[in-house]
Amino acid sequence: MAPSICAVCQTNRALILRPKNHQKLCKPCFISVFEAEIHHTITTNSLFHRGERIAVGASGGKDSTVLASVLKTLNERYDYGVELILLSIDEGIKGYRDDSLETVKRNAKQYGMPLTILGYDELYGWTMDQVVEQVGKKGNCTYCGVFRRQALDRGAAKLGVRHVVTGHNADDVAETVLMNLLRGDLPRLSRTTSIVTSTPSIVPSSPETTSHTNIKRSKPLKYAYEKEIVLYAHHKNLDYFSTECLYSPEAFRGSARALIKNLERVRPSAILDVVRSGEDMAKLVPGGNDNCGNGCGGQATLVEEEEGGCGSSNGRTTGGEMASMEQQLVQSEAAAEGGLEVEITTAASKSPNPPDSDVIPLVTGKKGKKLKGPPHGTRKQPARQTMGQCARCGYLSSQDICKACVLLEGLNKNRPKNSIEVTYDIPEEASLNGNTVVNGVQQLSLGPD
Amino acid sequence: MSFGVSSVTLLHILDYQLKNQTAKTGRTGFQLLVVHIDTSAVEQTAPNPSLISNLQARFPDHSYAVLPVKDVFEETTSDAKPQTSGQPEEQAEPHATSTSSHLSTLLASLPSATALADTITTLRTRLLTAYAAAHACEAILWGDSTTRLAERTLSETAKGRGFSLPWSVADGPTPGGIMFNYPLRDLLKKELLSHAEFVRPPLTEVMFEESKTGVVSTSSKTTTIDDLMRAYFESVEENYPSIVANVVRTATKLEPAGFEQSDARCQLCGMPVPEGRFGIHGWGGDQHDAQGLEAGVQKEGLCYGCTRSVPRGVGLPP
Repeated sequence: MAPSICAVCQTNRALILRPKNHQKLCKPCFISVFEAEIHHTITTNSLFHRGERIAVGASGGKDSTVLASVLKTLNERYDYGVELILLSIDEGIKGYRDDSLETVKRNAKQYGMPLTILGYDELYGWTMDQVVEQVGKKGNCTYCGVFRRQALDRGAAKLGVRHVVTGHNADDVAETVLMNLLRGDLPRLSRTTSIVTSTPSIVPSSPETTSHTNIKRSKPLKYAYEKEIVLYAHHKNLDYFSTECLYSPEAFRGSARALIKNLERVRPSAILDVVRSGEDMAKLVPGGNDNCGNGCGGQATLVEEEEGGCGSSNGRTTGGEMASMEQQLVQSEAAAEGGLEVEITTAASKSPNPPDSDVIPLVTGKKGKKLKGPPHGTRKQPARQTMGQCARCGYLSSQDICKACVLLEGLNKNRPKNSIEVTYDIPEEASLNGNTVVNGVQQLSLGPD
Repeated sequence: MSFGVSSVTLLHILDYQLKNQTAKTGRTGFQLLVVHIDTSAVEQTAPNPSLISNLQARFPDHSYAVLPVKDVFEETTSDAKPQTSGQPEEQAEPHATSTSSHLSTLLASLPSATALADTITTLRTRLLTAYAAAHACEAILWGDSTTRLAERTLSETAKGRGFSLPWSVADGPTPGGIMFNYPLRDLLKKELLSHAEFVRPPLTEVMFEESKTGVVSTSSKTTTIDDLMRAYFESVEENYPSIVANVVRTATKLEPAGFEQSDARCQLCGMPVPEGRFGIHGWGGDQHDAQGLEAGVQKEGLCYGCTRSVPRGVGLPP
């Protein structure tokens, strides 16, 4: 078979089959196409502005390494005029972080970027290893996730930086879209699909002061395929570290990830298509970002502290995550019955008749919806979050005291505690009784941890 | 009516309800038109349309119809809208003789098994909507189970059709101008299967036996996104039925996008395309203009999802 010719330059031999669209490219063309796409993402979304100091959230993994490398290249090539620094968070997990932090240190030298490493112990007084010792392997991802979410913001504030870029790629975003559909978390679905997120402070602070509540986050690799990131790292001989965290296989994310990989195999564009669907669906989330009243203009989406481990949420037990969700759903369904029956009788002009009546059962128009059977009949509005500041640390939170502080308090009291919160996303209509029952059950099931 | 367990069960229940209404009051609240879209000409696994006579024998009180899917090319006979057709050469041709060749040309041009399955589904929905409108039906009742709706939620998402999800999984009016209802939306497929066997005489007698899906072949040539999702939810339903239901509930919470009758529609699936954002270009994830190609020139009038399936320049149904 004759060697294929690169589809872009039409001269070199094609050596790379592009994962995104199966285009045949030569190595230099692949690298320039990949960089051009990131540049395109940055410019069309106006992610950066001249003179900005930007911290790259660096883990030593392939995504953040490629991100740092590409941003450095592009910043020089297109003269963005931004100052790039590396910011690493040390969770304090021996055997995982030690090695990857070494990688970050080498990267800092290779790219000539200043590096700051902040440890959980400095920020919170606990390393993850200590947390695990305390709470066991189950549920520790909650701690890690809650701490990490704030850690980058706190770190950025410490460095006087107001913009953090992270290495989330298209696969990650697509995965999160599917995961949040499986988990039924629409508010988070709409949040995670937007390319820029911010945690604006409640009182707009003066431009000079940087508090950790108004850090902008963005994902320049949002449309880049994981496979292409690996290819890019490989062909540019980038120095990165690959290992999974020792503590956390997450059931939902794992399930969604497997699905995404299969989808990609069937139709390469599927990852991008899921991202697109996620963006479109975000506009359809009731009470979503479109009518966000508190001044989060443009594409920036309000982000509250995430709960979960490794960029996701749900601090339930790791292995049985899906099982416990299942159990919880069964419970809430049972608990919801009461409240919903009330709604039916008040909303229905005619009571829902048994099949043997003469009432026309096919109702059209708005009323039809109200008359439907219990579990789907009501369109539950996702609970609106009202943002305030944590009374202890000042971080943006919908609670009086933010999740990190709550968790810390538990740790410091030397008493394991899990983070199931009553108020976070309980549907408004659900009866109070139902909630307490559900919550009681969760706590029971988590008790033995 | 697909002759699958869900639609047969739906017919069984509605038939029972109508009989009860007649017995109690001597009149009925509604009439049923049972319609099967025959795709056997284009799909190997499609059921034999003659199955409808078995159904008719078992539930004789309703009207039955079988429509070949190629009819989608002649659906707009009276009020054809020339400006939306976009395929001028087509208008000159006599419709009736060429519909099946139109269809096979369209389907043959599709690049993958996923695209084929996706397009046939879209055509089926269109044809059914047109038929229901022509017969002044109040609503289309779909037999989809919870499991099926969950599958659809994720596979539509994976096909870039997230924007139209509210119209394909939730009860309510649709852009096609007709109500869609999913009366079996709270029943799992395995529940329906058990029910179909308990009923005397069993519904399985009049059902089309689906070929066992079993393990989805990993060969990507023939596997479709729908196959993947079917296999996925079959396994999820096994252990976590509430999660299946939760997906559907979640998708139902999405609010249908607002649209005007005058809004531009996709020429294939008929869904409104907000701000005329046709095609796969002109959004954040589109990288083509980065490579020097002109953005936004695609004036084919297909929505994002349909553009992924159907290549340019193919003769679409009017």
